[in-house]
Amino acid sequence: MRRLGAALWFAVHTAGQNFRRNLGVSLAGVFTMGLILFLVGGALLFTHSVDSVLQAQQAKASRIKIYLSDSASLASIMDFQLRLKNDPRVISVTFENKDQAAREAAQNPDIQAALNALGSNPLPASLNLNVRQLTDLGQFDSMARNTPIVDKTTATDYNPDVIGKLRTVISVISLVGGIIALILLVISLVIIMNTIRTAVYARRTEIEIMKLVGATDWFVRWPFILEGVIGGLLAAVFSGGIVFLGYKLFVQAAQRSLLSVPFDASYSAALLFLLVLGGVAVGAFGSYLGVRRFLSV
Amino acid sequence: MSVALAERPIMSPAPALRPVISFHGVTKVYPNGTTALRDVNLAVHQGDFCFLVGASGAGKSTLVRLLIREETASTGRIFIDGHEITRMPHRKLPKLRRKFGIVFQDYKLLNTRTVAQNVAFALQVTRPGQRHLREKVEEVLWIVGLEDKLDKYPDELSGGEQQRVAIARALVHRPRIFLADEPTGNLDPDTSWGIVQLLLQINHRGTTVLMATHNREVVDLVRRRVIAIEDGRVIRDEAQGSYLREGEATI
Ligand SMILES: Nc1ncnc2c1ncn2[C@@H]1O[C@H](COP(=O)(O)OP(=O)(O)OP(=O)(O)O)[C@@H](O)[C@H]1O
Ligand SMILES: [Mg+2]
Repeated sequence: MRRLGAALWFAVHTAGQNFRRNLGVSLAGVFTMGLILFLVGGALLFTHSVDSVLQAQQAKASRIKIYLSDSASLASIMDFQLRLKNDPRVISVTFENKDQAAREAAQNPDIQAALNALGSNPLPASLNLNVRQLTDLGQFDSMARNTPIVDKTTATDYNPDVIGKLRTVISVISLVGGIIALILLVISLVIIMNTIRTAVYARRTEIEIMKLVGATDWFVRWPFILEGVIGGLLAAVFSGGIVFLGYKLFVQAAQRSLLSVPFDASYSAALLFLLVLGGVAVGAFGSYLGVRRFLSV
Repeated sequence: MSVALAERPIMSPAPALRPVISFHGVTKVYPNGTTALRDVNLAVHQGDFCFLVGASGAGKSTLVRLLIREETASTGRIFIDGHEITRMPHRKLPKLRRKFGIVFQDYKLLNTRTVAQNVAFALQVTRPGQRHLREKVEEVLWIVGLEDKLDKYPDELSGGEQQRVAIARALVHRPRIFLADEPTGNLDPDTSWGIVQLLLQINHRGTTVLMATHNREVVDLVRRRVIAIEDGRVIRDEAQGSYLREGEATI
């Protein structure tokens, strides 16, 4: 206990001394690391926000309209509707008759004008489906095409292109965000490593003596690792705070312009935790690499 | 091989059969191709006092560096206290180095610490939480005659005093073997003599001492074991030797 306490005290004391003695370099290291963590955090939060907006779009996209032919009997339509309702992939089915279709379409003034000019109602009745999974839409589309009572010219409003593009956008954004975050983390590792090298260099005589009198590698290493951890922690706390604030402002601004970006409290808490963990890990590992070369003898 | 059996202090324990340091056919080739030691065979017993002499570049420092495993022998085997150190794993080196007390021509003191703190440092980094630290530090500083300089900083001391601080620091963990690589290289003759007296006194307490030196006067005055190295080879090993071979011309 006494030995551990003394060893710990030595590490803390030396780390603090290192930090103060190379204050310029230490602060520059913390600042760049903070900047990088800020970028990583910002990138992750941005991706998450875009992701949630797209998710909302996806929810909209998991609806499909099956257009019914004008000659279909009410009985066969109700039969078809019941069949769809019993399908486990379906959340809900509603019937929309020709009048309702016209009323909904008339919300667009151009279409209303066209309908008025036409005099009759060319819009088909439809069964509006809400399905659980976006990926099932294609199956409903082909099933509709093989059903006799379905409109032959336009069977459904299914558009695989839009959905496919949406999915690609989501995965590309996540991938790019991930890669950028990774690159930035490697850069911060190198920065920490060099910050620690400066500290090690300033202490080279001390380290030489330590090795000469028989101090263990870990005893030499601990103060520097601690210094890296403290730096990483400071960087994470500052950048995390700024990211959190920025996120709040962004959500407020988005909501003012009627874009529904939800404020995800649990995600930002997890992100803050991740930044601290990342800062500490990168700080510790960067320092480990920074001292390694000096310990080879 | 002549071994300085006669030199062991009378009060030392029964002579150990096993030498405390032994070299068996040791060769050291540096990565750049320089051969610094060639087929060195050597045995040093507990309580010996040896001078290591030879021209500049003969290989004295290399021999010291091999002992503390700052360098590794290219071929041959080195034993310390019966343990082979040539193939000792890295993690065991701290324990090996704690058997030695080492001083160099440059004193390697920390200028931001006082004399007492410099000495205490050696214990703090090897045995954190050591009890009676202050007493132990004061004791070794008393041995080297610096009991009144405890709170001075190294740059407030003379060269000889600084070397005494380095010696105190090397002594504070009670080493079995004391290595001195040209400890008087930067000192005037009187001060050098004082340092050698101190090393003899340390040896008198039972510690094995190995001193690499160019200091001819000292070697010839003390008349202890002399190991002469030339071009990486041990060319002479005499129990009561001199700096030059008897009758050798003075250059
Ligand atoms: N790290 C090294 N790399 C390559 N060659 C070296 C290295 N250290 C020493 N040497 C060479 O090995 C030889 C022996 O050097 P060493 O330092 O052991 O001599 P020395 O007897 O201590 O000399 P001096 O009296 O000048 O201190 C020399 O030729 C030197 O140039
Ligand atoms: Mg030398």
